Amino acid sequence: MYDLVIVGGGPGGIAAGIYAARKKMKTALITDSFGGQSTVSAGIENWIGTKVISGFDLAKSLEEHVRAQTGIDIIEPDLVTSIAKKDEGMFALTTKEGKTLETKYVILASGSRRKRLGIPGEDAFDGKGVVFCTTCDAPLFSGQTVAVVGGGNSALESVLDLIPYAAKIYLLVRGDALKGDPVTQDKVKTHPQVEIVYGAVPQEITGSAFVDGLRYEDKNGGGVKTLPVTGVFVEIGLVPNSDFVKDLVKTEPYGHIVVDPATQATSCPGIWAIGDVTDSLYKQNNISVGEGVTAALNVYDKVKLA
Amino acid sequence: MAQPNVTIYTTPSCVYCKMTKDFFAKHNVQYEEKNVATDLEARKEMVDKSHQLGVPVIDVGGDIVIGFDQKNLSTLLHIGQ
Repeated sequence: MYDLVIVGGGPGGIAAGIYAARKKMKTALITDSFGGQSTVSAGIENWIGTKVISGFDLAKSLEEHVRAQTGIDIIEPDLVTSIAKKDEGMFALTTKEGKTLETKYVILASGSRRKRLGIPGEDAFDGKGVVFCTTCDAPLFSGQTVAVVGGGNSALESVLDLIPYAAKIYLLVRGDALKGDPVTQDKVKTHPQVEIVYGAVPQEITGSAFVDGLRYEDKNGGGVKTLPVTGVFVEIGLVPNSDFVKDLVKTEPYGHIVVDPATQATSCPGIWAIGDVTDSLYKQNNISVGEGVTAALNVYDKVKLA
Repeated sequence: MAQPNVTIYTTPSCVYCKMTKDFFAKHNVQYEEKNVATDLEARKEMVDKSHQLGVPVIDVGGDIVIGFDQKNLSTLLHIGQ
C-alpha cells in the first residue's frame, strides 16, 4: 500500500516524484516512458537554467534524477488504465501489464497526446506517408511534395524541420491566420519552398500502398481540391490523456481536468492533477514542474495530518 | 544462446532511434545501424521489410519491429527472462 502513486513520467510527474521521495512518502511512479512530449524535440531553448537541451537529453536527465531517489518505486514501462475508488478513501490503480496498486493519494500527470484529423485514410496510411513525428521521419521525404496540417507552433516547426528535405511544402491552415510565434511565422511565410493555404479543411488522405494525395475543402469558395503529396504531417494540437479518470474527476468540455490552481487538487478528494492534462492556461515543461512540486507538497500536508 | 542478427534503420534526428540504441547498449545487444536519411538502398530495404516509412525499424533475425517497442524487442532478444 502506498501513500502516493504518480501517474506519468513527464517533467511534472518527475518533479512530484522527487519531492515525494525526499519527504519520505511511500511513493510509486508509473509511466510508459520518461520526459513527456518534448522528448522528440530537437532542441529546447526555454528549459530554465540550460541554454539549449535536446528533448532526448532532457528526458534522460529527468529519469536519472528520479531514479537517484531512494524509497520510490518506479514502474516502467507500464500504463495506468483505470482507477477505482475503494472504501475508506483508498484508490486501486490497474495497469496495462495487469498490476494493481493501492494508494491513499494519486497525482495524475498523464499529459496529452497528438490530436488526429479523424478523416478517411489517416489510420490506413499511418506510417505510410501519414506522419506524427516530423523530426523522426522528415529525412525520408527528401525531394518530395508534402503537406503539413495545422497553424500553431508545432505545425510551423514541422515545416521548418521539412525545409532541408522536401522540395515543396504546403501548409494547410483551417483558419485565415497562423497562430504560432511571430518569429517562426516569419521564417515560414517568407520561405520559397512553402505555400500556405488558408481556409483549408482536410477531407481525405488518398493512396494505394503509400500516400499519393490529400483532398481538402477550400472554405473560401473553391470547392474540394486535391494536393499531389506523398507525405501528410499532422500537427493540429493535443488532447489530454484523461479518459481513464473521466468518471472520477471533473473535466472541462475538451477533457482537461479541472484543478484548484493553489493546490492542484481535483474535484475528487485524494486526487491531484498537474501539467498538460489539467485545465491550466499554459502548457510548458517549466510550469508542469512547478505544479508537480505544489501537488507533492500538498499531498505531504495531508499525509502529515493523517 | 547466440544473439540473432540485429539491424536498426534510423535517421539522425530520430529520438526513438536513440532510445532503441540506448536500450541495446544497456543490454549488450550487438547491432548494425543503417541511416535511411542518406542510404537510399537501406531505405528501400526498410520499406520492403516493414511496408511503411517510419523510423526506427528493427530487424531481429528476420522479425520486424516498428518503433521503439521495448516489450517486443525484449521478447525477441530474450532480455529480462
